[in-house]
This record gives sequence, C-alpha cells and structure tokens, in this order.
Amino acid sequence: MAPLRIPRVGIGGPVGSGKTMLIEQIVPLLSANGYKVSIISNDVISKEDAERMKQNLATDQGLLPEDLVIGVATGGCPHTAVREDPSINLSVVEELESKYDFLDLILIESGGDNITTTFSPALADYFIYIIDVTGGDKYPRKRGLGIENCDLLVINKIDIAPYVGADLKIMERDAKIVRRNKPTVFVNSKTGRGVDAVVSFIIKDVLFDTLPKASKKVN
Amino acid sequence: MMYMNIEIGNEDVSLLQMSDSFFPTGLYATSSGLEALSQVKKLKSKDIFHYISTYLKQVVGPSDCAALGNAYESCMKKDLTALLNVDQSLYSMRLIEATRSASVRSGSQLLKCVSTFVKDKKMLKDYQKAVRNGNATGIYPVSLGVASWSLDISKNKAGLILLYGFTVSVIGAALRLGILQHYDGQKIIHELRPVILKSVLDNIDRSISSIWQFAPGLDILQMKHEAMSSKMFIT
Repeated sequence: MAPLRIPRVGIGGPVGSGKTMLIEQIVPLLSANGYKVSIISNDVISKEDAERMKQNLATDQGLLPEDLVIGVATGGCPHTAVREDPSINLSVVEELESKYDFLDLILIESGGDNITTTFSPALADYFIYIIDVTGGDKYPRKRGLGIENCDLLVINKIDIAPYVGADLKIMERDAKIVRRNKPTVFVNSKTGRGVDAVVSFIIKDVLFDTLPKASKKVN
Repeated sequence: MMYMNIEIGNEDVSLLQMSDSFFPTGLYATSSGLEALSQVKKLKSKDIFHYISTYLKQVVGPSDCAALGNAYESCMKKDLTALLNVDQSLYSMRLIEATRSASVRSGSQLLKCVSTFVKDKKMLKDYQKAVRNGNATGIYPVSLGVASWSLDISKNKAGLILLYGFTVSVIGAALRLGILQHYDGQKIIHELRPVILKSVLDNIDRSISSIWQFAPGLDILQMKHEAMSSKMFIT
C-alpha cells in the first residue's frame, strides 16, 4: 500500500528575508498545538540553515528528532529545485512519508531566490512567500510570481519599517490589490509578533482543522 | 495523418526527451566531485576534459553503462529477477553514500515520471513496484535502461543518453562554479564525442559478472565533497 500523503507547506523568499527564522517561530507553535512536523531546507551554498534549525529546534528545544530536519543542496538552482525539477525534494518527501507516517506536516524551505519563486503543486500543497520591509514599501506593488501567486504573503521585519521609510499601510493596500484579496500577514520573526496568524492559516487552510489538534484531544 | 518516416520515428523524439537536461531527474544538483576538486586546484578547460574523460572510461562506462545494458537486456527477456540482480550489483558498487543516495533519488523519480506517460510496459511497472516495496533501489543507470526500453529507444542509444547526460551534468556544474565559460563547455562536449561513443560501444554488452570501476582518486574526491560544510552540489 502506498504511504499516506503528508500535507506540505512550501516557504520561499529572497535571501535574508527570514525564511529560516519564520520556521523557527512556526514549529514551536505547531508543536504546542500537538502537530508533528518535519523540515526540508534547501540551501544554495551550504547546509547552514538546516544545521541551525537542527540545533535550535531539535537538539536545544527537543521539538522534533534531529533526523527530521533535512538539508538539500540545489546545485546553485534554488528555484529549479522547487519548481521545474523538484525530483530531489520529492524523493526526500516520499522517504519521509514512507518512514514517518505519524507526521502531520512537512515544511519545505526553498533556497534564497528572486521574486519569481513559486513551488510546483506536485511538491507543495500551500505556498508561503516571505519578503521584508527593507526593500521599501514598493515591494508588493512591483509584483512577481511569488508575491502574486502565493497562498499567504508574509511581510517580515516590521519593527524596522520606520527606519527604512517603509509605510506598512501602503504595503497592505498594494498587497491586497496585486493579490486580489488573498491574505497577507505582517510579522516580526525575531520576536514572534504576528507569527500566530501564520500558524492559524496553516492549521485552517492546510491541515483543515477548525481547532488545533491538541485542543481536540483535550476535549 | 501518420507522422512516420523511415529515418525518424517516435523513439528518436523520446531519445531527445530523455537526454534533455530539462528532463526532471535532479542531475543539475550533482557535480560528481568537481566542486571538491575546484576547492583545492585552479582548474582549466583541459582539466575538465580530462576529468570527464577519466570518469567515462573508469567509472560511468564499465559500471553504469554496462549495468544499463544488462538492465535493458533483462527487460527484453522479461526477466525481473535478472533486472533486480543488476540493480543490486550496481548499488553495491557505489562506495560513497552521497553518490549512492543521489543516484537512487534520480532513478526513482525518473521511473515515476516515465510511468505517467508509459502505461503498457509490464517490466516498467514491475520494476517500479519492486522499488516501492524496497526490493530494488531504482539506481539511475538501471532505471534509465528500463525507461529507455519502455520507450523503444535502442540499447546503444540508451547508453549514449547515460554518458551524454553525465557529461552535461558535469559541464553544467563547471559553468555554475565559474570554472568554464559557455563556449568552452560546448567545445568540451564536442571533443568528448569519441570518448562517449567508445565508452558506450566498449561497455554496453559487458556481462554483469564483469562490470568494474576503478578511480580511487575520484572516490576520495567524492568523500571529501561529502564532508564539505559549504557546498552548492549534492555530490
């Protein structure tokens, strides 16, 4: 019998936008809500992100076993690895599905890339695209496949918006227009502010739970 | 209207499809040790030629291409046991964990892809089932042999796909590592044509009991690559 398909969330965004840190904030919240998560981290030139998450989330916090954080090298082609030819990522996902059928969710982090990043629907069921305010408040208005097509747009580093002259209201207005009212969430991944909204979208739109798993068990 | 000609046919289009680097097998993420070598030695065009040439003569030809030929023959004879034996034999010859794993990942995804448009070949289905059940690994050269047979590509041309694909994957890695410029890469592929042809013809009919590989320097490079903390490529 073929293994069950575990829901997958793809997280993409430019270099330094905060993909890894967002995952480091999401996983503890999902874990506290009773969900078991694995992480596949695509890196462009190292496995640094995967190693960092392994140390933080697995070794230090004990939220998941170390072998459930997997680094994937992409040959310098981060968008190819999640869109045109996701073979290696799919192979890792299938391995996880066959070995760890208890998992509720697989998070797939793309390597840092440009604004045309999207995930192949064969690889990810739900696509989160993250940008930050340092590119200016014009960022959503300039569009790009990632910003327009993702299921959830996350705008990070809102704490420094005043210092870089980025008006969050303009970003919110423009995101609503170019994304045709699909959701946008503002966060500060360093402090965790706003991340609970991201987790709520995952629970509701990916896991199709009206209540978090842990609260259902209690009830 | 039939689009047939005595000189070209569907199998030729399939050959182009399977040898295209656009075909999704993940080979773009492998450098076959070149990334490790580029860290310790300033490489020139002629070094890349010799690097690939050595690989083809000492590894890809006598082991991968021979395994592909045996896999193809097993499919022709409808002999699943022999096919699984080829799969296991080649897998056991892969000394480096990262190269073994990358080859298995590429091969199993190749099978999945081809199975979406080839539905009437029992050997393809049976091999894929064996991979799914853990009775075979799906290692790339064997999977390519099965897929090529399923698409009516001749055995010799299947061998060409394998060696050409390997060559292009290393050239692609060299370009992205900044070792070569794009014209240099194409020139090397052109100059490697006789090496590719000879390696196929010398090895495609090699029996499973006489497949071999010997390139300890390249094996050590792959081991070094495996241990690198910062890298672009899987191998």
